[in-house]
Amino acid sequence: MGLHAILPFPAIDDGVSQKLRFFAAHKDEFDTLFIGSSRVYFQISPAIFDGVMRESGSPTRSFNFGIGGMFLPESAYVLEQLLTTKPRNLRWVFIEYDELQTKWAFENQTSRRALYWADWKRTSLLLRKLTDVGIDAVWLPSLKKLRDIILCRKGEANRYKQLIFHTAQFERNFVNVARGGDILDYFWGRDISKWDAKYLGAAGDGYIPKTGGMSASQAAAYERALGLAMGTNPPIAFISPYTVEAYRQCAQKVRAIGAKPILLVTPSATQFNIAYGDNNARPPGGVIMTFNNPRAYPNLYRSSARRDREHLTKSGAEEFTRIMAVNFAQLIQAGEVK
Amino acid sequence: MSFVEFRFLWFFLLLFIVYWTMRDNTARKVWLLLCSYVFYAAWNWKFTFLLLGSTTVDYIVGRMLARCKSRGWRRLWIATSVCANLGVLGFFKYFNFFVSSASGFLAWLGLPTSVSTLNIILPVGISFYTFHSMSYTIDVYRGRQRAISNFADLALFISFFPPLVAGPIVRATTFLPQLVSARKFADVDVRAAVLLFLSGFIKKACIADGVAPIADRYFAHPANFTPRSAWIGVLFYAIQIYCDFSGYTDMAIAAARLLGYQLPNNFRFPYFAQNISDFWRRWHISLSSWLRDYLYIPLGGNRGPRWFVYRNIMITMLLGGLWHGAAWTFVIWGALHGIALLVHREWMRLTASLEWATRAMRWLAWPITVYLVCVAWIFFRAHDLSRAGTILKQFVLFRGSGNEHFHRWMLLVVAALAFIHWLNSRRWFTEPWRQWPAPVFAAAYGCTVAVVLLFVPPHYTPFIYFQF
Repeated sequence: MGLHAILPFPAIDDGVSQKLRFFAAHKDEFDTLFIGSSRVYFQISPAIFDGVMRESGSPTRSFNFGIGGMFLPESAYVLEQLLTTKPRNLRWVFIEYDELQTKWAFENQTSRRALYWADWKRTSLLLRKLTDVGIDAVWLPSLKKLRDIILCRKGEANRYKQLIFHTAQFERNFVNVARGGDILDYFWGRDISKWDAKYLGAAGDGYIPKTGGMSASQAAAYERALGLAMGTNPPIAFISPYTVEAYRQCAQKVRAIGAKPILLVTPSATQFNIAYGDNNARPPGGVIMTFNNPRAYPNLYRSSARRDREHLTKSGAEEFTRIMAVNFAQLIQAGEVK
Repeated sequence: MSFVEFRFLWFFLLLFIVYWTMRDNTARKVWLLLCSYVFYAAWNWKFTFLLLGSTTVDYIVGRMLARCKSRGWRRLWIATSVCANLGVLGFFKYFNFFVSSASGFLAWLGLPTSVSTLNIILPVGISFYTFHSMSYTIDVYRGRQRAISNFADLALFISFFPPLVAGPIVRATTFLPQLVSARKFADVDVRAAVLLFLSGFIKKACIADGVAPIADRYFAHPANFTPRSAWIGVLFYAIQIYCDFSGYTDMAIAAARLLGYQLPNNFRFPYFAQNISDFWRRWHISLSSWLRDYLYIPLGGNRGPRWFVYRNIMITMLLGGLWHGAAWTFVIWGALHGIALLVHREWMRLTASLEWATRAMRWLAWPITVYLVCVAWIFFRAHDLSRAGTILKQFVLFRGSGNEHFHRWMLLVVAALAFIHWLNSRRWFTEPWRQWPAPVFAAAYGCTVAVVLLFVPPHYTPFIYFQF
């Protein structure tokens, strides 16, 4: 445990370490931060956002900390790491809002990406969600539920595997499994301070535009699925209380350094039936900006603006950034965000 | 549940504390039996019934063998046990192999085939506990082991968790006498056991899992690599399989020792073998001795004319290969070892009186043996015969058209590991520990574990022998 505390932040692929080191080195230059998955990474251009904000009279300097596949709880851990650098000028932190992920694709389970964030705060939320114990201070799992999970009954086989996986990841992270490389890097003096444009983008603001769009057949299939989904009123997928709790913790950390958390639901075609807040969930606090309504933002959902159901094209991303910045400026002007 | 998982640590700690807290030997054995079934159930609880079924059949056969005096009845009962055990093993492990091979053969003859394979899950460790179980009934039949009346004792022998899923293969005559009296903690060499466990953990979690990605990458697409990389890939696999399997064995023996039980040794630095016969006296000793005692000798062993002995060797090695896996690659692996054993025997016979040959072999025997073992590993590891052919061309003939290559420094890794292995064979790593005072030992052990964990790769590769 002592060793865990003194070890440097691990070298994590996909730009996590790169962006974190870059942000730590330039932390006081930014006042706005976007954090989330590829839906943030490839879709929010800090340059455009800052331009719109400047025009609206509330100039910002923003940084995109989107990482491909970075959802809760990993994003919450990374956010905490960012905040521990104590960025003095940070005012707004946009956090992508999505459900707490308990599933990791089998091929990614053995990567360091699946390990480094597995501290008790994150793991306990995952275990709570997997065992359906709620978020009260005392854990009281239902014995019937546990029996079903252990005996893999009623389709609980995956839940059992996930429980084992997340518990093991916590233990492995706790005892510093696979951290030898970081120590060797430190002693061999490998230069890890070089910024990689692959992750930071040409402008060094963390944004990488993705080119390309859908083929004609993909576009037709997308339009068909979108039409069906919009017409049939799919059941609302409520954000679980565990997710709300995770965001509450994030919001608390952000506020602790004097910044404001803003939760962001991106224009994803797989997310427009999610809703936050049900009877059990406490509101996580902060402002929530949602772009998951195709009727309100039809331009962001037309097939020509999309690369796939999750992501926008470069022009779609630019349009989304502009709309988001305009909305945000309006919120500032209305006094809802200070 | 695997020995390198953290849940095994918690499982074993609980087991260990409760076990040594109990005073009554029967209670301890029941506790161990329960834990062994839980250990197996952690993989798939449904297959504990198969384990229980196998135990029940052999318990009944053992009792009937003790009761029957007639030779014919005794033969019938032992045949029942062998058929039941091999029948279960054959169904779960070999059914699809035989069906698809028969289908392929019929298709080759131009005959119509309409057979389909079944979606069968191979119960983990079935090859091992089937052999544990059979050793009991065969030894009772031969009069080497008394039929036991306590079902729980037999159930514990067959399901005892350390060697349950990947050996070493334990004989009834080795294990059952240890169940008679209560084990004493004072007799347990804790220091040696925990060192052995750590050594096994390092072999498996750091070395085998560390080199596995290289070997996996090479064997997945061998045609893409250069001949030099083929050498690296094959040598890395040779390291992986040894460290993986002997690592498991070390941990199994250590876990059993901590509970007061002795398991047979399974490895004696096999890559230092001077010839192929020597290799089989050092590699998977519990299997080679099992096959010798329960297959090779009953077939006739070394008795009879030379061709008869060679036939026995080939049958034993072919079945030994097939025991490892239901694929032709394993059969060829067994055949290669069988042929190598025959060649070695002939060589020894022909050169017994030639001084120069003995002198030359003093230098050449070891590299030739390692090379042959590595060639055989190609078939053991290759996904199919066509890829095995590609690898063989690269490894033996240095021919290949691939461009991908591994770095040269990987050969240094092989050399460094070989050197460490040599030091280990000289007890460089284990001996000093034994002389340290307890607090120093404990502190050094803790620090070593902390450092070792740093070098455990994030990926986990299941034990290779689990699939057998």
